[in-house]
Formats: sequence, C-alpha cells, structure tokens
Amino acid sequence: MSTPVLSTTALTKRYGKHTALAEATLDIPAGRIVGLVGPNGAGKSTLLALASGLIRPTSGRIEVLGRTPAADSAQLADVGFVAQDTPVYAGLSVADHLSLGEHLNPTWDDAFARDRIARLGLDPAKKAGRLSGGQKAQLALTIAAAKRPRLLIFDEPVAALDPLARRAFLQNLMEFVAELEVSVILSSHLIGDVERVCDHLIVLAESRVQVAGDIEDLLAAHHRLVGPRGTLDALPDGVKVIAADHTDRQTTLIVHDTTGDHLELPGADSVGLEDMVLTYLHRAEGLTAPTLQETRA
Amino acid sequence: MIWLTWRQMRAQTLWTAGLVVAAAVYLLFLAGDIREAYRINITDCTSACEDAAHTLAEQFGSGLLLIGLLLLAAPALIGAFWAAPLITRELETGTHRLVWNQSVTRARWLAVKLALVGGVSVLFTGALSLLLTWAAGPFDKVVDSRFEPLTFAARDLAPFGYALLAFTLGVVIGVLTRKTLVAMAVTLVVFVMFQLVMANVLRPQFAEPVTETIAWDDANTVGQIDSFGIGPQGAGVQGYTIPGAWVVSEYIVVHKADGTDVTAEDIEACDTVGGTPDDCMVDLGATFDVTYQPADRYWDFQWIEFGIAAVLSALLAGVAFWRIPRGLN
Repeated sequence: MSTPVLSTTALTKRYGKHTALAEATLDIPAGRIVGLVGPNGAGKSTLLALASGLIRPTSGRIEVLGRTPAADSAQLADVGFVAQDTPVYAGLSVADHLSLGEHLNPTWDDAFARDRIARLGLDPAKKAGRLSGGQKAQLALTIAAAKRPRLLIFDEPVAALDPLARRAFLQNLMEFVAELEVSVILSSHLIGDVERVCDHLIVLAESRVQVAGDIEDLLAAHHRLVGPRGTLDALPDGVKVIAADHTDRQTTLIVHDTTGDHLELPGADSVGLEDMVLTYLHRAEGLTAPTLQETRA
Repeated sequence: MIWLTWRQMRAQTLWTAGLVVAAAVYLLFLAGDIREAYRINITDCTSACEDAAHTLAEQFGSGLLLIGLLLLAAPALIGAFWAAPLITRELETGTHRLVWNQSVTRARWLAVKLALVGGVSVLFTGALSLLLTWAAGPFDKVVDSRFEPLTFAARDLAPFGYALLAFTLGVVIGVLTRKTLVAMAVTLVVFVMFQLVMANVLRPQFAEPVTETIAWDDANTVGQIDSFGIGPQGAGVQGYTIPGAWVVSEYIVVHKADGTDVTAEDIEACDTVGGTPDDCMVDLGATFDVTYQPADRYWDFQWIEFGIAAVLSALLAGVAFWRIPRGLN
C-alpha cells in the first residue's frame, strides 16, 4: 500500500487556448476516499479523465498506482472509472452489461456483480436505456466495482440523481468500499456529500489545485483568527492568510498553518469544512469570502 | 471484445446477411438463365449465329449492369451505415468512456472492431463479387469487354478493395468528425468521388497503353469498327473495339499509304470508281493507329486496383490507430 494512488507533477491540460487544468501537483496515498470539489468548469472532469487515461496531458506527469494511466490492460484492470452521466449501452440489457464486464475484465467478480444487481432489484432482462438515472448509476458502479480494481474513480456520480437516489448511491458506495478495500476518488460540487463520505480532500478552482490533504489535517491546520485591527499583521512563518476582512475596529483572517506543527495562534477558532472550501473557492475567483464571519453557531 | 463487437453488430449483421443471401439466390437463378441462353444461342446454334452475342447482350446486359451498380454501391453503403457510426456512435452516446475503462486497451478494442466488422464487410462484398463474376461468366465471355468501367469495378478482386477502403474511410471520417450523420454523408461523397477518380483518372494510367498501326484490311479481324466517316478532324474511325481490350483512342484519324490523312476528296473519288467503301480504303492503303490496353492486362489491372485500395485502407487504419489511443479530446 506504499504506492500513491495518484501522483502528479505540474499536470497541465490545454484545449487550444483554454487551460482546463494548470500545474496540478498532487500526491494521494492509498486507502483514502478522496473528495474532489470545486465549481463547474474548475477542471474536475479533466483531472479525472487524465487519471483514467481517457485523455493525455498537454504537459506534466501523472501516475496512477505507480503507472501511466491506461498504459496496458493490467493498469486498466486496476482502475474502475464511472464517467459523468454514467454512460451505458442503451440497446443492451442489464445482463448484457454484466457479460460485457465479464468478457472484458480478467479479474471480473461475477458473483459480486450478480449479487449486487439482485440486491438493487434490477431486472437483468431490462434494456439499460430504460433504467432510471439512479439505476444507470448503480449499474455503472457495479461494472466498475466488479472488475475488482484497486482504485475507483467517480466523476460527479450523484449530480444527476434525486436526493433519495443520491443517498442510496453513496450508502452503497460506502458499503462496498469497506467490502472491497479500494481507494476512491470522487468529484462533487456538493460539499455535504464529500463531508459525509470522504477522508481526503482536493479543492480545485479556476483550473488550479487550491489545497489538498487529509480532511482531518486540513481542519486542524485552518483557523479563523479575530482580533482588533492591526494586532494580526505579524503571523509566524508558514502561516498563510487565505482570506482577510477588515472592519474599522477588527480584523478577521482565515489562515492555513502549513508548518505541520499545530502552532498555537492567539484567538484561533476552528473553521468548518464547508467554510474552508468556500474560502478557497472565493479566493480563486478573486472575491472576498462572505464566510469570514462565523456563519454557523 | 469479440463478444461485445458481435453483440453490438448482431442485428445489422443478420439483416445484411439476409440481403446478401437474397442477392445470392437471385444470382444463382440468373446464372441458370444466362447458361441456358448461352446453350441455346451459342453452343447449340444452328442459324444466324453471328447475332448470338448481340442477343445475349440484349437479354442480360441491362440486368447485369444494374447488379453491377448495386455491387458498386454496396461498399459505399457499408462505409456509411456500418463504418461511420462504428466509433462515432460510441463517442456521441459517451459509451466510449465505459468501454475504454474495461481491462482492454483501446488499440485492442479498435483492432477487434476493425478486423471483425471490416472483415465481414469485405467478406459480404467479396462473396457477391465472386458470385456475380461467376454468374455473368458466359455473358462476359461473349461480350468480351471486361475493361468496361462498370464491369471492371464489379468483378473479381476490385470489389474486395473497394469494400476495405470504404470501411476504413468511414471509420476514420467518423473518428475525425465525431458526428455520425456528418460522417455518413461525408463518407458517401468521398467514396463515390474516389470511385470516379479511380475509373477516370487512375485506372487508365496503371500501365502505358500500347499503340498499334492497323491496316484497313485487318481492321475488322483485329477488332470492330463501329462507325467511319468524315468529321471536322478529317476521315476517322469512331468506337473501335478490340475483344477484351480497353481501347483508349476515341476518334482515330485514318491515314493513306503515304502517311497523309484520308480526305473528303479521296472518299468522293472512291464513290465515282464504285465498289465497296472497304475495297476503296484498302486500295488507298489506309491505316490507323489505335491506342489500347491489351486484354491480357486485365488481371494486372485488377491487382493494381485492389492494391491501391488496400494500401489506402492500411494508411487510414493507421490514422485510426494513431488517433484513438491518444484520447479524443
């Protein structure tokens, strides 16, 4: 488990003049459930398509489980990918999709696949084109999982689902992550979902990685500092100001303690995950974060 | 991968196979009719046997031409309806993102699709070609004009090459345009243009044609003069045919023994002397130069035509193999 599931250096993808992903450097250890969050168009799908090998980088380096994505069938077998909108063959039945998985994957776990389809209550004879959005997502998830990969990648798996189906899907995901011992990377623009299932976070905005790390560590390293104006000007080395708001009398800062030493900062208060993420997203867009003030009790 | 390709193409393959079988049955009956007519008019001929070829051509010519046209159209249809959507449909519905993430590399995925679907396309077209060649055998023997553009492209090897080319063309145009309907239309247009260019521009240049001087006396033993007259270019022969050969000359100027052109005055002088025009031309020592591709070049030309299509197909397949594994974004 020493090989990082995803390791990139200055990973960049450009489409003509448009830069979809710029200089992303990441190192994600194995065994995590990684949440990739950011607004639409931030580059989440680009990063995941690069990780699955669907597209190739313009520059920079990417390795998934220590190998170039989609390098050969062994590498492909190690990574399960469920694309956005969970594409399935509309003309093929659910059973056909399981046969597809069985024929195309030497590591296919047929018992697992059939068991899941039965538990989900999907009719094997039904054409995939006639399934609901939630059922299609479940079918795609089953195909990706039954090949028994070491890494599962989901691009916005729940975006098209209604709240009930979303909850069921995430519930299911959690169940078999525990069952299969896989690492997971999933993208979402719903921070609540990420908070519920993930233990590692990548914040992506404006094509750049804003911050990445284990959620626990990130929360422990981000603080809200409130003090009379002028008292917070000098911060220890390694403490970065993510956002600052000044009123006549006082200053509010969101800071990231990058020293790893858990510095004791005067007047430090904890920051919630959602506030932290939003602060980064607003910073990326060059806006003042409205989240500087305590929004939640 | 073989299973998936078959599962995806099953319906189209089966109904196309149905059409091929229907065409084959029709060709079998036609072959019987042609052989029957050949036996009556030629083998067992008792009177007016010179007209037998004409009778046979009259009876089966247009029918065989029509089938030949269908055989020319078959590769175009395969290119548009099988090849163009083969990959484009996946890209349009997004299913490439499902199938490309199974434990099969894209190169293998593409190789199996090209080999199976392309193979079946060539097989179907080729089978019809060989069947038509066999069915029309006695007819072709009598009419003896295998270089006729519509006959040449619909017999023996040529259709194999065309099927291969139309298929790879459809696939590559699909990969490049990434839109099924556009790819289908472009494939049809490009392929038909290629057929026209092949027949009109390339095929005449496969080999340097032979030019032969023919004395008037031999004119109708070597070949057949369709018409002779005085035109703006002087006295000339039009529509000269040599059995099995491909005559390139269209209007052939006729010379006298001294090398000068036969003029209107020469003809008029003949008329005053009397006798048949042929006797007169022979007396004048008339000769003409005919430029043609000899009949024994037929198989060379068939192989060259097949070879050109096969090489182009290989190049197109190379484009697909270069493009697909690199991702399509």
